[in-house]
Amino acid sequence: MSGATVVIGADADALVAAHYLARAGRRALVVDEREAPDAPALEPGWIPPRVVRDLALERHGLVVHAPDPWAAAPLPDGGRLELARDLARSAASTARASRRAAHRRPQFCGRMARLARVLELLYAGPPPDPLARAPGELARMAGLAWRVRRLGRRAIEDLLRVLPMPAADLLDDWFESDELKGLLGLGGVMHLAQGPRSGGTAFALLHGHVGSPPGVFRPPRSNLVEVLARLPGIEVRRGARVARITVRARRAAGIVLATGEEIAADCVVSGIDPRRTLLELVDPAWLDPELVRAVRNVRARGVVARATLLLDREPGFSALTLAPSLDDLERAHDDAKYGRVPQRPALEAHAVDEAADAAGRRRVDVHVQYAPHALAEGAWDSARRAALGDQVVALLAAHLPGGAAAVVERSVRTPLDLEAARGWPQGQMHHAELALDQALWMRPVPALAQYRTPIRALYLGGPATHPGGGIAGAAGANAAREIIRDARRGRL
Amino acid sequence: MKPYDAIVIGGGHNGLVCAAYLARAGRRVLVLERRERVGGAAFSEQVFPGFTFTVYSYVVSLLRPEIIRDLELPRHGLHVLPLESTLTPLANGDHLAQWSDHDQNRRALARHSPRDAEAYDEFGRTLHQMARAVKPLLGMVPPDPASLAPGDLAGLARLARHFRGMGRGVFHALHKLLTMSAADYLDEWFESEALKGTKSASGIIGTLLGPRSPGTAYVLLHHYMGELDGVFRAWGFAKGGNGSVSAAIAAAARALGAEIRTGTPVARVLVESGRATGVALESGEEIRAGRVVSSADPRRTFLELVGEAHLPGELVEAVRRFRFRGASAKVNLALDALPDFTCLPGPGAHLRGAISISPSVEYLERAYDQAKYGEFSRRPYMDIVIPSMIDPSMAPPGKHVASIFAQYAPYRLNGGWTDARREALGDAVIDTLAEYAPNLKSIILHRQVVTPADIERDVGLSEGSIFQGELSLQQLFSVRPAPGWSKYRTPVEGLYMCGAGTHPGGGVMGAPGRLAALTMLGARR
Repeated sequence: MSGATVVIGADADALVAAHYLARAGRRALVVDEREAPDAPALEPGWIPPRVVRDLALERHGLVVHAPDPWAAAPLPDGGRLELARDLARSAASTARASRRAAHRRPQFCGRMARLARVLELLYAGPPPDPLARAPGELARMAGLAWRVRRLGRRAIEDLLRVLPMPAADLLDDWFESDELKGLLGLGGVMHLAQGPRSGGTAFALLHGHVGSPPGVFRPPRSNLVEVLARLPGIEVRRGARVARITVRARRAAGIVLATGEEIAADCVVSGIDPRRTLLELVDPAWLDPELVRAVRNVRARGVVARATLLLDREPGFSALTLAPSLDDLERAHDDAKYGRVPQRPALEAHAVDEAADAAGRRRVDVHVQYAPHALAEGAWDSARRAALGDQVVALLAAHLPGGAAAVVERSVRTPLDLEAARGWPQGQMHHAELALDQALWMRPVPALAQYRTPIRALYLGGPATHPGGGIAGAAGANAAREIIRDARRGRL
Repeated sequence: MKPYDAIVIGGGHNGLVCAAYLARAGRRVLVLERRERVGGAAFSEQVFPGFTFTVYSYVVSLLRPEIIRDLELPRHGLHVLPLESTLTPLANGDHLAQWSDHDQNRRALARHSPRDAEAYDEFGRTLHQMARAVKPLLGMVPPDPASLAPGDLAGLARLARHFRGMGRGVFHALHKLLTMSAADYLDEWFESEALKGTKSASGIIGTLLGPRSPGTAYVLLHHYMGELDGVFRAWGFAKGGNGSVSAAIAAAARALGAEIRTGTPVARVLVESGRATGVALESGEEIRAGRVVSSADPRRTFLELVGEAHLPGELVEAVRRFRFRGASAKVNLALDALPDFTCLPGPGAHLRGAISISPSVEYLERAYDQAKYGEFSRRPYMDIVIPSMIDPSMAPPGKHVASIFAQYAPYRLNGGWTDARREALGDAVIDTLAEYAPNLKSIILHRQVVTPADIERDVGLSEGSIFQGELSLQQLFSVRPAPGWSKYRTPVEGLYMCGAGTHPGGGVMGAPGRLAALTMLGARR
């Protein structure tokens, strides 16, 4: 196989797609409008083992950071609820929050792990197509159905019942401890413009659980993007802004950069969001109006800000969650849904292991939720950004040794900043919200779910495609496999 | 005397439908109703002399046409009068009117948004198509997806064929409708806030969820389901109040040979070596029957009438976590004159239809915000009908009755429901409505406020849930009321369920009663 592929965007999925295509003998050129990779040292996301193996990522310096305890939350008595990766070890800490929780947690974790396993099966390939007629696809679905059935009656029942549930209902069924429910509940709304009482947030909780050991409800963090960018085999051009995708006779023929430079290719893969890809980079005249409408309706609302703090001392935690209860989370969401910055946003802080500089200062990355993309009154500016930073420091101060004084430097990125810096539509990290109506064969819209577009040789391979953000590289790998399959059949 | 073949616990409309079908098949049936009158929540009475209130449930939408036909309900006094319009008054003195007449409706919508008027027809067509696709599911006994029994496998295969046969467009549209929020779904179609608010209101009825929560879009479909049947339009109003629906079904059941005893509360189901053998009344009397079928909700049926001792732990656990969360209240008014709406002064056709206080999605969402933390909405969503405009016999000449359905009034109110809180809720409803109809307070002769706690106490619906359990995706079809027990049977041999807590759920639909009866009849050799 030969031929040139242009991959738009240099995020994890796009880079994985490029590497798979390169391994299949294609020339892969990745273009990205950013001058330098913007990704922080560690990005969250579980990397499917197959991708790690196929691309020999470990040999090339992949570092997966799985802190232990993986989460901690302050308790009203001044102690901390610490959840160790090993269920048995965290039992004692859980008991501090609630004896009943400690008793019920192993059972809860076992059942959720089984459900996550079902999702993992579904995430390993392109989304199943329930209406497919092709024998191959039917056989695959039968195989999936068989494997799900083998998990037993309880798993099937849980699958039907749990996925559409509000995370709050699911957690209320099992636990009483507010701190435990708040911590787990945040997992159900991560990057989602919903509160924990909204339907379908249990699905989001499970999505973030896929690939982790039982009881661990946050994906690991890794330097995947950095490793992929320096992994040999592909060419990465930065500072190259794509102006449009050239289409000739209903097939993609390459790209034109903002500078006017044309790059010919017999295949174009877009790792950026579908709306920009199809409605801005392609002349919409090539598309069916129905599809244009569907793509416009893809929901991508950013609700997360990120803060980076530099501390002059050890932070005293590897991970710390401030989401004291489900009600607190819900109230934070209430504010955001009307376009206000919450009085008490939920925070999840991760300490970076290595010292940030020669002075031994420590970096702490903070996930701030909810921060609306558009404010009801006014717009994001430096004063509002600074005010959000003050809020973050004030909320964290009580849990830092030395209090607020320990923070010597800080920077805050609002959803607007993240949109500009990362190309996330409206600041939405997953490019399309991970909700049940935008998952599996619906992701991002049914007509694009199999990575193909109505334009021949133009593919989508970013987090807006199945299985979506948070499963690092899986969408890119799936897209690349479909492209290779098409090429083999002469359909590229 | 020949023993009873079946005892039906509860004389609500589902219990009566079940009894009528059993009697029609020649079974000897006894219906036992706790209160002095049949009808459950579909019940009308003269609360104040001369004024008939449909105290709880107030509209008919989904009563299955096959039930109307099979039981010959019109012959037994059922007469449904259509509601022809929905009026949404707006705070700025404007209004949105939706009419069942197509051209009139189009003109009314175009005044707010020509684009919405344009989209409305296609929206209707899409929902109509989906209603057509879903309708067969309402009439089928849900198969158990975890079972390997031939019947279940055949049911699953039939289901798969059904979904695969509906075509890509409809299948994907249905997936969206089942999993989206009403607000997001309507955003894809319309721009007018009043239209979106009013349409999304049907997605939140009876549920403690806001219009922005996924899972609320599905109920939009119910509106179109009624139309599909061609018997009457989406929403209708039974002459004499909804009590006359129950009365007609009861008359049909009696005519078919069923016996109905009112004022006869059942204390428990008699279970002997895993088999239901009859019931014990609160009076101590025991009545034996070959089968017992309960139209009470799953919590009452399993945890009170049967008792945990006779049930597997998993079912008990499932019933405990089944969500009821009543969220709706009723305010019934006896009026000296007609309310006068600022947006459309004077009497008029708009008073013969529904009046919806739902000016925007955000209005509903804010009403929900208060409820989720245990307060009732200070400015609630309301659906108002004035039955005396359609059926003058409901009130003395020149006077009127108004039925106000209000949401949200959560069952679990902070501090609990008291007489004072009930009246405070009534005040909030009246105050809000008076903003749109300023003469309201001066024309009220009597007022009756019904909270979820009242519904629970008086009708026996747990937590005042009008659907015997929320109609959310995780409580529908094969998992309603509990995984493995969606087929009207229970772990106690000879004990069945036929209430709205079973598939396909609540509303004055009658389908659970019918499907339960058919299941029982099929199960007999």
